[in-house]
Amino acid sequence: MTSATVTLSSEADVKLTPAEAFERFGRRDDAGWMFRARCHRVAPGYAVAIDLPGGCDAQVLGRLRAVMPGREIVIEHDQPWRGQLRIKFERTGAAQTRVRFRAQVPSEGIEWLARHRGASLPLPAPTGARRIGLLTSKSGSGAVYSMAAEYMARLAVEQVNASGGVGHRPVELLIADDSTDHLQARRETVRLIEAGCQAIFACVTSASFSAATAAAEPHDVLMVHPVINEGGMEAKKVIRFGERPEAQMAALSRIVERETGGNRWFLVGQQYSWSFGAHRAAAKILDASGSRVVAQRFTPLGTREFAPIIDSIRASGADVVMSSLVGADEVAFQQQAHEAGLRDLASRVSLVMDECTLEHVGPVAGNGIWTALNYFQSVTSPGNDELLRAYREHFGPWAPPLSSLSTNVYEAVRQYLELAALHPDAAPNHLAAHWRTRKSDQESVGQRNMATQRLYLARAEEDVIRVLDEVVA
Amino acid sequence: MRPSTESLAFDALSDGVRRQILAILSEHGECTVSEITERIDSVGRTTVSSHLRVLRTSGVVQERKVGRYRYVRLDADGSVREALDFLQRIMTQAAEELSASASTAEPRDPFEEKLAVG
Repeated sequence: MTSATVTLSSEADVKLTPAEAFERFGRRDDAGWMFRARCHRVAPGYAVAIDLPGGCDAQVLGRLRAVMPGREIVIEHDQPWRGQLRIKFERTGAAQTRVRFRAQVPSEGIEWLARHRGASLPLPAPTGARRIGLLTSKSGSGAVYSMAAEYMARLAVEQVNASGGVGHRPVELLIADDSTDHLQARRETVRLIEAGCQAIFACVTSASFSAATAAAEPHDVLMVHPVINEGGMEAKKVIRFGERPEAQMAALSRIVERETGGNRWFLVGQQYSWSFGAHRAAAKILDASGSRVVAQRFTPLGTREFAPIIDSIRASGADVVMSSLVGADEVAFQQQAHEAGLRDLASRVSLVMDECTLEHVGPVAGNGIWTALNYFQSVTSPGNDELLRAYREHFGPWAPPLSSLSTNVYEAVRQYLELAALHPDAAPNHLAAHWRTRKSDQESVGQRNMATQRLYLARAEEDVIRVLDEVVA
Repeated sequence: MRPSTESLAFDALSDGVRRQILAILSEHGECTVSEITERIDSVGRTTVSSHLRVLRTSGVVQERKVGRYRYVRLDADGSVREALDFLQRIMTQAAEELSASASTAEPRDPFEEKLAVG
């Protein structure tokens, strides 16, 4: 927990015993409280999501750190800021309880909130450091999958600074939240550029990245999209790494068809370039393998109600459902599909089922989902144990799991800074050219060649993603 | 160049006592200097006064004098105040929501596993 923290508190006297008040936390009916906090179990280590009220499209996303039934609940959260919420239950009568709420909010949280509510805050004063930016999603649908991205970018910068920075200058990381909205991505990109960032790393949707690159185009800034995407958009100052749906689908369709015999696919995605590209790639791969797409649906980013789509899946006769939904939308879809009994009708494939998303889908609803990404926490590749250890040492046991998205951000920041140290005066387009032709046969996690398409075929088994095979595309 | 008020406002949050003062004003609304001092154990009245001066200069709090008393409250227009107010409203709303919950639905077995909802 950062030291610059404001502590806010409130309390309520309720006509319930402490056990009764405690029991209502996380309930789905009208008795649920704390803004219908959602968790799979009220037990330490379980993920928790709380919708912020008051017109914020933001969720407090974190984990239960401590649970003492009838006495105390402690939540450590990472989105939209890193903080702690403590709820204490104190018996004050036979059926009377005083419940105390105490929130620790760091100054970054207050700054995020002020900005989110429309305040125009000043740019950070120049420090002499080499500045880079991270455009990430701290709110909106993407907050679920980008939880660890900020931490991993910070870790990369801290490690580089510990070894002397770049060209004897320290590196400073500025963070911006696109709110999973392309217009906000454009505004925040301009802010990062005005603050002097020489490169911007984007852990955002393709829609946001497209808007960000358009905003950056007139400037001498390198734009990097290191996370899963549909491809395209590359330019002299624009680099995209990450998994591609063609390779994912080629690997996934083979194993799903072999293991389940399913060959009638229903595709569900969102109305923007990522899903459009992913579904085109899926249709091509499936067609070539003799399977077919029986139907597909696209829904706006931010959808939380999937009953009509689930009805369409039932009516289609599909035996495999492939989802290209991301973040909180994917969480809602997979949970509702599970509750509707879809698992008994069809196998489920998800293109973006990383550890952070699975944690919120939950061990029961997520069980059995097939996926393929270029990193999972459970990989046995060299360097993974060291990276996980460094992450936990920096951010503690309650920080969100690592995933392909956050690891790709880490690798991109490290590799960019290494190239910047080798070519300190190179313009962004020249650095991009060096990066594209960078020769590396490094296999260690954290230093892998990002241009190589490597995938791990995996399946969710309760609360872990089990790696089944490695595929080099 | 003179720093902007907003920049000063976020600098004001860098000190633990000042953050404590803001939390007190956020929870209790307008307070006298004595009331603030009573709620802070770690430092005395003189130190509290000097922190209040920083907060006033930063535009985070406003002060008015009535007779012998100085009343302090969060600045009505500042973005820091607005953000803190918003957070405090959320905290109060959470408490009210629980009070309302007490009058609805029968309690269940406290050890029953919660269903997955998101």
